[in-house]
Amino acid sequence: MKQIFVRPELCMGCRSCEIGCAVQHSKDKTLFSAVLQSPPPSPRLFVESAEDIKMPVICRHCEEAPCLNGCISGCLYRDEKGFVRRKKERCIGCWSCMMLCPFGVITRDKEKRIAVKCDRCHKLDLPACVNACPTGALQLVDLDEVPKEIRSRTVLSGARAYRP
Amino acid sequence: MRHVIIGGSIAGISAAKAIRQSDPSAEVTVLSGEKARPYYRPMIPFLIRKGDIDITFEGDLEKRYGFAVAYEKAAGIDVAKKEVRLESGRNISYDRLLIATGSRAVVPAIPGIRGEAVFTLRTAQDARSIGKSAEKARSAVVLGGGLVGIKTAIALRKAGLGVTIVEKLDCILPGKFDRRGSEIISNIVEREGIRVLAGMSIVEAVRAEGELRGVRLSSGDTLDAGMLIVAAGTRPDLDAVKDTGIRTQTGIVIDENLRTSVPDIYAAGDVVEYTDLVFGRPAVSALWTNAEEMGRLAGRNMAGGKAKYEGFLSVLNSSEIFDVPVMAIGLVEPDPLSREYESLVEDNVDSYRKLVFKGSVLVGAVFINDVENAGIYTNLIRSRMPIGGLKEEAIKGSLRYINFIRTVPEQTMSA
Repeated sequence: MKQIFVRPELCMGCRSCEIGCAVQHSKDKTLFSAVLQSPPPSPRLFVESAEDIKMPVICRHCEEAPCLNGCISGCLYRDEKGFVRRKKERCIGCWSCMMLCPFGVITRDKEKRIAVKCDRCHKLDLPACVNACPTGALQLVDLDEVPKEIRSRTVLSGARAYRP
Repeated sequence: MRHVIIGGSIAGISAAKAIRQSDPSAEVTVLSGEKARPYYRPMIPFLIRKGDIDITFEGDLEKRYGFAVAYEKAAGIDVAKKEVRLESGRNISYDRLLIATGSRAVVPAIPGIRGEAVFTLRTAQDARSIGKSAEKARSAVVLGGGLVGIKTAIALRKAGLGVTIVEKLDCILPGKFDRRGSEIISNIVEREGIRVLAGMSIVEAVRAEGELRGVRLSSGDTLDAGMLIVAAGTRPDLDAVKDTGIRTQTGIVIDENLRTSVPDIYAAGDVVEYTDLVFGRPAVSALWTNAEEMGRLAGRNMAGGKAKYEGFLSVLNSSEIFDVPVMAIGLVEPDPLSREYESLVEDNVDSYRKLVFKGSVLVGAVFINDVENAGIYTNLIRSRMPIGGLKEEAIKGSLRYINFIRTVPEQTMSA
């Protein structure tokens, strides 16, 4: 299965991915109408930066997804492609998923009072964030085809989050 | 391999799924004492006002995961014969057994408390009964200011009743929120018209010709009430393990693989007593998320796995109280006399944040009306990762996932 692969060393922090994501999740899916939409559409991934690194932080659609496992209302589910998605009408705004997501990529729609998260642009061949990225920091790849050293480098840096 | 699971709520269902995912040839029977399709139990307060909303697990569990739910209540276990005795008189044999019987509501011995118009809230049926009774009642008293009590009070208030919460301890949400958090939540519910009486107990449910008229308080005052909802906590439901020799304290004692003291019998969910990750001592959890995790790991181990369970956070609550999101995670109110802990607080007009540190390790968090990125904090509390240099960012709310990622110098990589 193809997955979104993040390469922090290629990210220049331009936030094109955030704009691409927000536009894709706006009413008319065009930049011009998206900027006029009220409230403005929100992205589901976030470019974050620390001293020596920038990168988009995005939903991993975790195999053991804390958000999905902790959802108390039956809103979150895993679709046939393996993506963790919402049945919006079942969200009650308890924010359990927000409390449990270790990546901080679930947000609140404060108007509708429901949780908002990445749907992996399940209707598109290429997710909007990947499509918008000008540097290749976000790529849609078959992970088996990524050279091992590149993969382990990223995995290792990601895994540091959990090392005591 | 024949697996039997006593209990058809989340611990039992997630165990059944995990068994079938690990071993597609396993035969799994889930025994449910409730005559209702498995459902999302935390949703039941919503049934008080809307009894017909669908809170069940969607889809055909049998078709999708290949296990059957039998709507029969277990009466006991014959450990020597490896059989579960059912209330119907039938016996069902097992190779591996999971006890996931959950917890039941505690009803204190108060004169007049037995009888009509007094309810507990544990099942969907309970919620519908409360809803039905609320159609006729004008006022209700909720005994217990925990989350169940508050959610019930909110539902009844929204249904138009006059509602009073009576809490024995001196603030609501005792043990679940810190004192200031509790005060803020108390203010929110009172602003919405719910009366909160803390530091007070009910000494009698007053009846006239059997009919509930109100409650008499420890202060001597009497409150009129057409309904009394008892939400005074829960305790593990240990009925099924009576006379089995399975070791219990408050709940069933399990080892790190979720096995009980009797071979081939596992336990998971609210019925279990296990290590709390921040308190470092045994606790019962009574939380959906923890029950799901325990069930999943127990199921995996029943199918031959060796999953190790580190423990849970017995405080791990997220909710919305009249449109205000509130969360409490881990150790939220350290002993004020202890010098081991440091609390950082941001108490603003419209939001409240509190973080509790033990040295450089985050052990607890409270967020009210400012809950963005809360999962990062939950994960820090669970993983016990020291974050000494980031305390300032943490309390300001600017802590992000990226703060825990460092680029790895090329030379440290092995090819």
